[in-house]
Amino acid sequence: MKSLTQDLKRLLSDKQVLSLPEDLMAYASDATHYYANRIPDAVVLPANSEDVGRVMKYASEHDVPVTPRGAGSGLAGGCTPVHGGIVMDMKRMNRLLEIDRDNLTAEVEAGLVLRQFTRSVERQGLFYPPDPQSAAVCTLGGNIATRAGGPRGVKYGTTGNYLLGTEIVLSDGTVIRTGGKMMKQSSGYDITHLMAGSEGTLGIITRANLRLLTLPPVHNTMVISCVSLDQAAELVSAIIASGTVPAMLEFLIKLAIMVMNNYITPPLPLDYEAYLLVDVDGSANQVEEDTRKIKGICHDLGIPDLRIVEDPREAASYWEARSKLYPLMLSIMKRVITEDITVPRNRIPDFVRGVQAIAADIAIQIGLAGHSGDGNMHPTILQPEVNDDINARAKQAIDRIIRLGLDLGGTISGEHGIGLHKQEYLEWEFGPAQVELMKRIKGAFDPKGLLNPGKIWLEGGEAI
Amino acid sequence: MKKVAEYADQIAKCSHCSYCQASCPVFLEDMVESVLPRNRIEVISRSIIDRSMPLSPRALEIIDRCLLCTNCSQMCSSQVPIDEIVVAARAAINEQKGGLSGVKNLVMGKMLKQRGLTAWVGKAGAMAQKVGIAAKDMPPLAAKSFDKFYSGTIKAEGEPRGRVAYFVGCGTNFMFPDTGVATVKVLTRNGIEVIIPEGQVCCGIPSMAEGDLKSAREMVRANVAIFSELAVDAIITDCTSCGMMFKEKFSKMLKTDDPLQERIGALAPRVWEATDYLNSVEITDTPGPLNRSFTYHVPCHRAWSPTVRHAPRQLLTQIPGAEFRELDNPERCCGAAGAFYLEHQELSAGIRSHRAADITENGADLVVTQCPVCRFYIGSALKEAGTEVIHPMIMLARAYGIDGC
Repeated sequence: MKSLTQDLKRLLSDKQVLSLPEDLMAYASDATHYYANRIPDAVVLPANSEDVGRVMKYASEHDVPVTPRGAGSGLAGGCTPVHGGIVMDMKRMNRLLEIDRDNLTAEVEAGLVLRQFTRSVERQGLFYPPDPQSAAVCTLGGNIATRAGGPRGVKYGTTGNYLLGTEIVLSDGTVIRTGGKMMKQSSGYDITHLMAGSEGTLGIITRANLRLLTLPPVHNTMVISCVSLDQAAELVSAIIASGTVPAMLEFLIKLAIMVMNNYITPPLPLDYEAYLLVDVDGSANQVEEDTRKIKGICHDLGIPDLRIVEDPREAASYWEARSKLYPLMLSIMKRVITEDITVPRNRIPDFVRGVQAIAADIAIQIGLAGHSGDGNMHPTILQPEVNDDINARAKQAIDRIIRLGLDLGGTISGEHGIGLHKQEYLEWEFGPAQVELMKRIKGAFDPKGLLNPGKIWLEGGEAI
Repeated sequence: MKKVAEYADQIAKCSHCSYCQASCPVFLEDMVESVLPRNRIEVISRSIIDRSMPLSPRALEIIDRCLLCTNCSQMCSSQVPIDEIVVAARAAINEQKGGLSGVKNLVMGKMLKQRGLTAWVGKAGAMAQKVGIAAKDMPPLAAKSFDKFYSGTIKAEGEPRGRVAYFVGCGTNFMFPDTGVATVKVLTRNGIEVIIPEGQVCCGIPSMAEGDLKSAREMVRANVAIFSELAVDAIITDCTSCGMMFKEKFSKMLKTDDPLQERIGALAPRVWEATDYLNSVEITDTPGPLNRSFTYHVPCHRAWSPTVRHAPRQLLTQIPGAEFRELDNPERCCGAAGAFYLEHQELSAGIRSHRAADITENGADLVVTQCPVCRFYIGSALKEAGTEVIHPMIMLARAYGIDGC
C-alpha cells in the first residue's frame, strides 16, 4: 500500500496521512472492538471539504474503499473499515462556524465534538438537546450519520429532528449543499434527512446546519425507586399515558445504580430492584405541575420512594454517572453487548417482562437500562467471561430480544445505527423489498460501493 | 509499580469507549487517535508485553508522548491505571536499553537524591546546553534555595494548635522559595508549628516519569524513613505532584510485602496539600484586604484528595476584596508536566497556548496554582501580558502583609 500512502500524501500533505502500523491500529474499530477489528491501509486527516473531495475523487478513480470516522465511540461497529482502504478521520474539521441567534440555527463542521458545541450554544442561553451519552467525545458528523439520541429523546427527539441542512462530499468527490437555515422545505427529495442515519454509506458529511431552541430555565431531577422491574416499566407507561412529558426518563436496574454509585455523591442506597431517573424542565410553573403529576402517579401505583434531588451538583452527578454506564459495566464484566431496541411506549412492560424471561430461559445475565421515556431500551448482555459457550448464549439472547422487540412493534435500533452489529437483523425489520430499495438508493449515491462498504445489510456471508 | 506484563489484565479492561479523547492533552493537540491513551496502552501491550509488534521508533514515540498528567486515568470508567502502565513500560524500555541517557542519569540518579547542591545552577546550565535547550525555557533557579531560608522547627505564633512536618519539593526549594516562605509564615501565623525535617530528598516523581524506578525507590525509602518517624498531625506539601507521590505512589512503588509498606500505610493518610490542610483546620488569623481579581489553574495531579481541587478557591475567597473568577475549563493541562516540556517543546507549547488563551480571556489579575512547574510554565507565557502566576499561599501571605511574598 506504499503507493496509496504516497498518492494521498501528494494529494494532501505528509502530516495528513498516517500509514505506520502503530497509527493504523488505532483506527481499526469502535467501542465494539471485541466484535470486529480491521486495520485500514491508510488514515487521512482532512482539514476542509476540499481535502475530503480530493481524497474521494482519488478513491473513486482507484476503487479504494473509504470509511468516514468521527470519534470512533460508536456502539455498532459502523466506522470499522471492514474492507480496509482509507479511514477518513473527520475530527480535525471541528470548527463551530456560526451561531445565528436571529434564526436560532448553527452551522458546524462535521468533526466538532458535541459537548464543545453544546457548551458554546448554552453560553448564549440557547439549547441543542440531542444528548448521546458519549457527548464528551462524539462528533456532530457521527451523530448525524447514526441519528444519535439520548435521554432527552422523550421530549426533544434525536439528531435527525435538529438537522436542517448538510454539506456532503459525494462518492466522486463532488461537493453539494442540501437544505439550509430555513425551517421547512418542500422542494425535491429530502436528501438532508436521507443523510441522517446513512452511516457514511451515501456520502461524507462535512458540514451541517442545525436547529436550536432556547434553554429551559428550570429543571427538576427525581429518583424514583421501584420494587420490581415490572413496576418501573408500568410506571414509565403510566407517566407517558398521563400526557406528562419529562425531559428525561431513564430506566435503571439495581446493578446499574451499583456501578454508577462510583460517581454519585452521596451514593444511592441499593434497597430496590429498579429505579427511574427523571428530569422535568421548562418554566417554573410547568416543572411544578409535571413534578406534581408524576408524584401523583407514583402515589397511585404504590411506588415506595420518590426523592427530589434538590442540590444541582448532586443531580448533575446522577446524569454524569448515567453517561458513563456503558464503560462502567465493563469495569465489572469481561464483555458487554448493548442493544438499543425501541418499542412503542405502552409496550415497555411487555418488553421488560419478555427480556427477563429470555434471560432466565437462556441462563445469561441481561442488564436493563434505557431511555425508557421514548421507548428506547438498552437490554445489555453482561458476560463475566468470554468463551464459546457464553458467546453462543449471548448471540441466542440477542436474536430473541430483537425478535421480541419487533413483535411488539418496535425497531432494532433507536439511536446507535446498524453498522455491523445488527446488519443480520435488518431484513427482520424491513423485509426484503424495503432492504432492496435501500440498496438501490445506495447504488444511486455510490455506484462503485466504496463508501463504508460492508455495513447496514449483509453482503452474503458473515460479517468480517 | 508492577512489571509492565503484570498490567495485561488491566489493559484488557479498556472498553475502547474512547472517552479519554475528552481529557488527553496530547490527543487534543495532535488530533490523531494513535496517541490516545486507549491506543498507547495497546501499543505497550503489543510491542512490550506480547511482542506481536516490534518496539519501533513510532511505538517508542507514542509511549514517550505522554505527560503522565493522569487526566485519562482519573476519568476512566474501567479504572485502567494508564499512567502506571506508561511508567512501567518506560521502565521496561530502560531495562532493554541498559539505563537512562547520560544527561538524564545525572539528574535523576544523582542530583535529585541530594539536597543542598551548590553546583546545581552550573550543572543545570551545562545540561541545558548539551540537550539544546534555550536559556529562556529553563526553569528559573533561585539565587538562594529555600533550605537557606528555613530549617528545623519554626514555632507557631501565639497558642499552638497543630504541628506539621513540611515536605519541601524540588520546585519550591530550587525554583520558588517564596512559596516555601509563604507556607511557613502563613501556617505559623495560624498557630501551626512547622518542622522541616533534615535529609529529605526529591519525592521521586521526575525519576518515576522517566521509568527510572530504581532511583525513585531510593527516594521513597529515604523520605519514608524521615517522615514516618515524626510525631506530627500532618505531613504537608505545597506541591500537588509531591502530594500524589506521598499519598498514592509511594506504596505502589514498592512490593506489596516490602517491610516499609506498614509505615507508608500509616504515613499516607496524614499527607495534605498545604491549602487543603489549612482549610481543614480553618484559618484563625483574618486576612487583610487585597483588591485583586484571581483565577485558579487546577494542577493535573489532584485526584489524590477529594478536596484539593477546590482548596485554593475556598481558602482565598476569605480574603476581603479578592474577587474570584472561575476559569473556563479550570482543570485543563498546561503542558509542562515536570521536564516533559523540555523534550517536547512544540507539543507542550501548543497545549499551553490554550491554557494561556483561557487565562487571557478570563482577565484576572492573578493566577494561583499549587504546582511549581505549572507556575513557571504558564507564567512564562503570560509574562508579556503582565499576568502573575503564584502559589495560593503567596496570595494569602500578601493579604497578611507578610514581607517578601
